[in-house]
Amino acid sequence: MERGLYIAASGMLAEQVRQDQLANDLANASTPGYKSDRVSQHSFARELDLVNRRSGAAVGTLGAGAIIAEKRTDLTPQTLKETGEPLDLAVAGEGYFQVQTAQGVRYTRDGSFTADAQGRLVDQAGDPVLGADGRPVRLNADGTVDPARVGVVALTNVAKAGDGRYTGTPDRGAETGTVRTGAIETSGVDASRTMIEMIGSLRAFEAGQRAITTIDETLRLASGQVGNLPG
Amino acid sequence: MYTAAAGMAAQQRRLDSLGNDLANVSTTGYKHVRVAFRDLVYTQAARGGADGVELGSGAAVRTLGRTTQQGAIKQTGEPLDVAITGEGFLAVRMPDGRQALTRDGQLRLDATGRLVTATGGLLMDPSITLPAGTQPDRIAIGADGTITADGRAAGRLRLVTVTAPGALDGGADNVFFATRGSGAPTAAPATTSVQQGALESSTVDIGSAMTDMISTQRAFELASKAIQMQDQMLEVANGVKR
Repeated sequence: MERGLYIAASGMLAEQVRQDQLANDLANASTPGYKSDRVSQHSFARELDLVNRRSGAAVGTLGAGAIIAEKRTDLTPQTLKETGEPLDLAVAGEGYFQVQTAQGVRYTRDGSFTADAQGRLVDQAGDPVLGADGRPVRLNADGTVDPARVGVVALTNVAKAGDGRYTGTPDRGAETGTVRTGAIETSGVDASRTMIEMIGSLRAFEAGQRAITTIDETLRLASGQVGNLPG
Repeated sequence: MYTAAAGMAAQQRRLDSLGNDLANVSTTGYKHVRVAFRDLVYTQAARGGADGVELGSGAAVRTLGRTTQQGAIKQTGEPLDVAITGEGFLAVRMPDGRQALTRDGQLRLDATGRLVTATGGLLMDPSITLPAGTQPDRIAIGADGTITADGRAAGRLRLVTVTAPGALDGGADNVFFATRGSGAPTAAPATTSVQQGALESSTVDIGSAMTDMISTQRAFELASKAIQMQDQMLEVANGVKR
């Protein structure tokens, strides 16, 4: 019926998606190596050309609502936090650790590693961390790990895969940072910025609701008063 | 809303483990627990998102087991106190015959002259009996665990280790049990030694445990704010129809 009704509703749906993304960032405020996301809205079906029905002259364009069109992950290296744990590793600078999973090699910046019964360095899920030679990293006899033996690769086309892991294409030529033991990379979530964005998103959602109620009110007037001819 | 709730649940579990660590701040040989966070699966956003826009579903926590950090060595001067430096544990025997591991080196002699742990009174494995009437201050314990009483060899403390100490199962009375994940106990490396007249302190550092607690509490609060925000959105959505 009223085009505006659907335009406003699509804006509200987009804000809901944004809220979900922001909530995921906040939930991961303590996840080591977590990279925060940023979503951007675009009006979809870009512009509808409006034409004056009687004269046929172009009136202008109209957006047909909003959609979350893009999600970008901020991959900037974050500050490292000292933990003193011998098996906690961090990449100082660019680059990712490699983990051999059942689905193939995955990449991570979360270095909260541990040892398995075979004496290999494994990640939280128990999958082996790969060395520079592409083979699982083995622990020294005293239970420590040699940081120089742990492989770090640069990636392009990085995408999140959950469990602190990423997929991507290794870029062998690019320069990578160094591995440090006894530290982990902190989460990339900026709590205050996320909170502010949440409030902004809530207000935009409210504005969409107001637009819908206003249009609804107009429709009510149209159906009630215009149709109510004085007899 | 579930995303934020998952984050709160993860922080809650971390608070629990921090609470337990703080309770053991003066437990001899106590190793604090390592807790790790991870993000959860990413799935295609619902209506309102274009193709390829994926949203995460919160965070989860996993216990990585105990730290292998060395606790500070505290001198006590007691002849039957031993501190382990380096990797490894003292092998002790549970009353039911199982082998257990401990880093709590506060030892004493029982009524029959056997060497036992102070907490739980567990026998050493293999058990070590000192000649009747041996005074504790005439006992010397070497760096390799050899015990001599009045200059005569009386046994040797067995030092063992496992491949993955983080996966040990913690029991009561400050002891650990080997699991399939940790691997079976083997002799400790030569770098491990014992020091007589000293004890290993708990690895819990009150300062860092407290700061961890504060940051966990704040993260918990943030996630709860996110829930409130999403609830408010539902309220707004309900207001569409008047």
